[in-house]
Amino acid sequence: MTPLALSGDLTVITVGADLLGHALDAQAVPQIAVDWRPPLPGTSAALAQVLADPRRAAANEKAVGRLLAARPHLVGVRRARDVLDLPPGTFLHAGPPITWERASGPLRGALIGAMLYEGLAGTPEEAEGALERGSAHLSPCHRHRTVGPMAGVVSGSMWMFEVRDAEHGGTAYCSLNEGLGKVLRYGAYGPEVLDRLRWMGDVLGPVLRDALAANGPVDLRALMAQALQMGDELHNRNRAATSLLVRELAPAIVEAAPERAAEVLRFINGNDHFFLNAGMAACKVSADTARDVPGSTLVVAMARNGTDFGIQVSGLGDRWFIGPAGVPDGLYLGAYGPDDANPDIGDSTITETGGVGGFAMAASPAIVRFVGGEVADAVAATRSMYEITLAEHPAYQIPGLGFRGTPVGIDVTLVARTGLLPVVNTGIAGRIAGTGQVGAGLVSPPASAFTAALTALAEEAVAVRGS
Amino acid sequence: MIVGTRPGARRAHLSSLSTRTHATGAASTALRPVLESPRTPARVLAAFSAGIYLEIRTEIEPRVVAVVHGEAVRLPNAIVLSGALPPAEVGDDAAVGAGSIRLGRAGLSAGRWWNPAPPLGPADPALLALAARATADVLGRAARRPGLDGNGAVAMLADGCASESLVDVVTAAERLVGLGPGLTPSGDDILAGVLVALRHLGTSAGVPRAVRLADWLAAAVTYDARTRTTPISATLLHCAARGEAAPEVTAALRGMAGRHPLEPALQGLLSLGHTSGADLARGLHIGLDAVVARAAGRA
Amino acid sequence: MRSKALPAADLVRVRSGIYHDSVSLMRVSQALTALDGVEVAMVAMATELNLGLARELGFDLPEAEPSDLLVAVRAREPDALRAAEAELERRLAALATLREAGGAAESPPRTTRSAAAAAPSEGGRAAVVLVSVPGENAFPEALDAVEAGLSVMVFSDNVPVEQEVLLKDLAAERDVLVMGPDCGTAAIGGVGLGFANVLRPGGVGVVAASGTGAQHVTSLLDLAGVGVSHVLGVGGRDLSAEVGGRSTLRALRALDDDPATSLIVLISKPPAPKAAARVAEAVRALATPVVTALLGPGGHDLTSAAEAVLAALGRPVPDWPAWEVPQDGVSGDGGVSGDGGGGGGALHGLYAGGTLCAEARIIAAERGTFTDFGDDTYTRGRPHPMIDPALRLEALASVPAGDVALLDVVLGYGSDPDPAASLAPAVAEARARGVAVVVAVVGTESDPQGLTRQARAFAEAGATVFTSHARAVRHAVSLSGSTR
Repeated sequence: MTPLALSGDLTVITVGADLLGHALDAQAVPQIAVDWRPPLPGTSAALAQVLADPRRAAANEKAVGRLLAARPHLVGVRRARDVLDLPPGTFLHAGPPITWERASGPLRGALIGAMLYEGLAGTPEEAEGALERGSAHLSPCHRHRTVGPMAGVVSGSMWMFEVRDAEHGGTAYCSLNEGLGKVLRYGAYGPEVLDRLRWMGDVLGPVLRDALAANGPVDLRALMAQALQMGDELHNRNRAATSLLVRELAPAIVEAAPERAAEVLRFINGNDHFFLNAGMAACKVSADTARDVPGSTLVVAMARNGTDFGIQVSGLGDRWFIGPAGVPDGLYLGAYGPDDANPDIGDSTITETGGVGGFAMAASPAIVRFVGGEVADAVAATRSMYEITLAEHPAYQIPGLGFRGTPVGIDVTLVARTGLLPVVNTGIAGRIAGTGQVGAGLVSPPASAFTAALTALAEEAVAVRGS
Repeated sequence: MIVGTRPGARRAHLSSLSTRTHATGAASTALRPVLESPRTPARVLAAFSAGIYLEIRTEIEPRVVAVVHGEAVRLPNAIVLSGALPPAEVGDDAAVGAGSIRLGRAGLSAGRWWNPAPPLGPADPALLALAARATADVLGRAARRPGLDGNGAVAMLADGCASESLVDVVTAAERLVGLGPGLTPSGDDILAGVLVALRHLGTSAGVPRAVRLADWLAAAVTYDARTRTTPISATLLHCAARGEAAPEVTAALRGMAGRHPLEPALQGLLSLGHTSGADLARGLHIGLDAVVARAAGRA
Repeated sequence: MRSKALPAADLVRVRSGIYHDSVSLMRVSQALTALDGVEVAMVAMATELNLGLARELGFDLPEAEPSDLLVAVRAREPDALRAAEAELERRLAALATLREAGGAAESPPRTTRSAAAAAPSEGGRAAVVLVSVPGENAFPEALDAVEAGLSVMVFSDNVPVEQEVLLKDLAAERDVLVMGPDCGTAAIGGVGLGFANVLRPGGVGVVAASGTGAQHVTSLLDLAGVGVSHVLGVGGRDLSAEVGGRSTLRALRALDDDPATSLIVLISKPPAPKAAARVAEAVRALATPVVTALLGPGGHDLTSAAEAVLAALGRPVPDWPAWEVPQDGVSGDGGVSGDGGGGGGALHGLYAGGTLCAEARIIAAERGTFTDFGDDTYTRGRPHPMIDPALRLEALASVPAGDVALLDVVLGYGSDPDPAASLAPAVAEARARGVAVVVAVVGTESDPQGLTRQARAFAEAGATVFTSHARAVRHAVSLSGSTR
């Protein structure tokens, strides 16, 4: 066969002027018309520079290949201070780096709660004063192989899921999920919040640790793959995954702590989102394997701190590229409304980074009304994400799309070219510290984060070529 | 520069006066003579969802024109439309010539021309021998069986081609024309396959005796095809006599000549029609074997 | 949270045996809250959390199980409450009978990359990509094509040369062909891409650095009954020193490998010396005979290039059809007397095709003024004159009486669907003013516009019409005063 395909029947892919496509219709030539639109404003030059980077194709193949190959296993439940660099007075938080001054209500509330929980302050006022004076050290979770939902505040006494990548050997952590309503991660710090945290520290953490030690590692890749086929998208719906995890661990929990088993199981069963945190750690450990491939335009982290939305890119090290966090468009609990909502917050966008969550919306008919009411919209949301991702996940599949793999591996250049921003499913935190969750919905990341990363990639590509 | 789409430009392009609608498609060059002739009356011979067959009141071939849409088999006498087919019923009046086909209110003309008999290019006889074995293998395994499996005339045709026995070939051809049910009887499809294989593969492999055999067979088959088989099948035999075939057949020939993978091309051919694809493939195989035998005899 | 208003009317219901997911119910709550006069509405499953929220809103709640449906609505007056209740029933009923739409229709691809992934590749099907987005955005799409292993025609112009070189180098690695940038025409196996004429299939393969040049040569060949296998455009810059003939070399080899091609024609302006040497070397290595038609002073014109091809095929050169006033019969070039009134003055070449304009300048040897309305200076921000006649109409209207106007009219796909419709009346008007008009029509009988139909329309308007551009120019020169 001639490689230039001069023989055989021709299909023409047209991108651009309609007129040229009409001419093909008149010739009865099958065509695939690209619905092309101009790239994000001001990105044409940077796009050309980045796409011309000779390292790009191989670098992206390598980076996304590692992301897809990762085999996250839940291997332990550990106290944060035993595994993370967390001296007293140091708190991890969600999203890109931030100061107390710029922190939003829920993050401030969670930090106050964590101060109280760690005994570093006696009252909320005292805690707030200390935080205002800068006596606490704030550091992003992502810098510490960790992710945290919503405010994502982690302090030394909290217990963490420990997830190891059986393929590449990395480890990632995420705190244990407190449930819904008034919880620390939504910035609540009332007595019931602290009591629950203490119970989690005294009972839940140790029991899960022992149970997991007895049970052995849990293959999260297999569990998540199964949950997607049971109607979870693994960000806003974790009901199936939670059930699967309980089913796996229940006997070991009973054996490890017969007296406490009932309350532990009741707690886990009462929270459909219990799995979320383990899934986030699984996505984190997978995304981290794709970091630091020179020339790669793959997004390895998306995270929000309630003020900024930030992304990190494989070829650009630990740099954050940020834009303002948006207010999610969603549905509100009770009488809450958009005025009560805090801008987008949390590291849970690691799920979308890893190819689930909003990207797997088509797998989750039960939650599709967040997108506007129809299954068709969810399918469209997932389909559109194939446009900005480098691969389809070999394990995470969507039954409704003929078991097609979920779109995975966001490419900064594809975001800039299509103007399609990652679809993110998220919970909505109350604006005022202490309110808790007010709703759930969809949020669009700021395009500026992606254009800033693209500019940096272009500068880096030019610098490398010049040297 | 801007390639502007002037408002109305497309409409002006596609429609003409009054209620007559105009569409264009991809026309086989086999239709060029009838399209360039003065307008001649025709009638709808058959109308299916995938295609409409028109019979022209003319003595020149192709007397039957197929108007098909893109999904259908692109017969060598076809014009392929990208849009919907015009409404038509058996017996409707039509006209062909002066550059277009008129069918009801529709005017159809060529938006491009395609060649139903594209040259294959040179083929190494040794590779053809390998292709013959591979073809035997694929056809032997195929679930789709030819329509005249086990018929003595087919065996006689195959033996006659292989041994270059003109008597056997012509005798077998006379028994096969029009043999079998349907619009394109199995016997005709097999003969069409043999004709195009002998002509194209014979040319490619430099075996002029195979081409001469094709000429004889063509003469025998086309002589009284009009009276022996259906009008559409007769036209297809005339096309095959000139080496013209559907792209699925051409693709299989290309595969045999080593220009692209053979098996997928054969599978594509086998999937056509009820038995048509399998019959055509059987014919190609007989022709291929004959060319290989002649090439070996020459060496 | 919203402030509480003075209590007016509360509706509280607990219903058992009804379950809806929280998202559906939140939508119902939202719809009810949006009603006029409704203070707050909460429709939710009676979980602890939701009961707590309702109590915080001041509702007085009965006992309820988590499996019950809780409805709590507060309105400013009873009418609003009744309206809310009606809406509630309607919405719940709708939820109960809701049928989800099936899978969404496949949405169109947004990049060439995803289109290429969707393109069929089996059973002898091949895909080629046609890029016509603005030049600054062409590179990503063309790169997608090459990276997907597909040949690409870049119709877009204003693509930086370093991007062109990069694309063409990558194309060599992936064994595909990049046609362009600024490639106006191509035909692959009879499929016309861009500005393309409807040509009969045949054995002549064309490699062209000039779009209109290729259109003219292949249209003349079609008139002579000779068909083409493929027309591969390479872009106007391919034979420059910078690009070095990268695509020309690949196109030549592709045609050499192609069984349908028995003669190759290379049409180009004289290449840069280095590229010329490389091309000459490549041509020598081909098994297929090559006619090299280098255009320009001392070289070929497009008509002589077509005639050279016919000579190489051993075919006779026909009298290229021409039409003149007042008879509309076809006559050979010699039959055109060319003096239908007017003329004798200066020659004004008003062109849509760049290559044709350049050819006219060379043939006329400075005897006249020639304007290429397809040049960037005229097309920035407006359609090409092959599509939009406005600029040429204006220019034709200002040709002084007694002068000679010379126009090219290019037919085929991509061009004006009926150029005579706008230009012929202007021609008639110019004739009436005493302007002699000569028209060169490039195209075939099978073109959507129809060669004869267009030519006759111009002839009837009073122009002398040629299918050979070179002859049109010579005729126009002979009519103008400069020959006297």
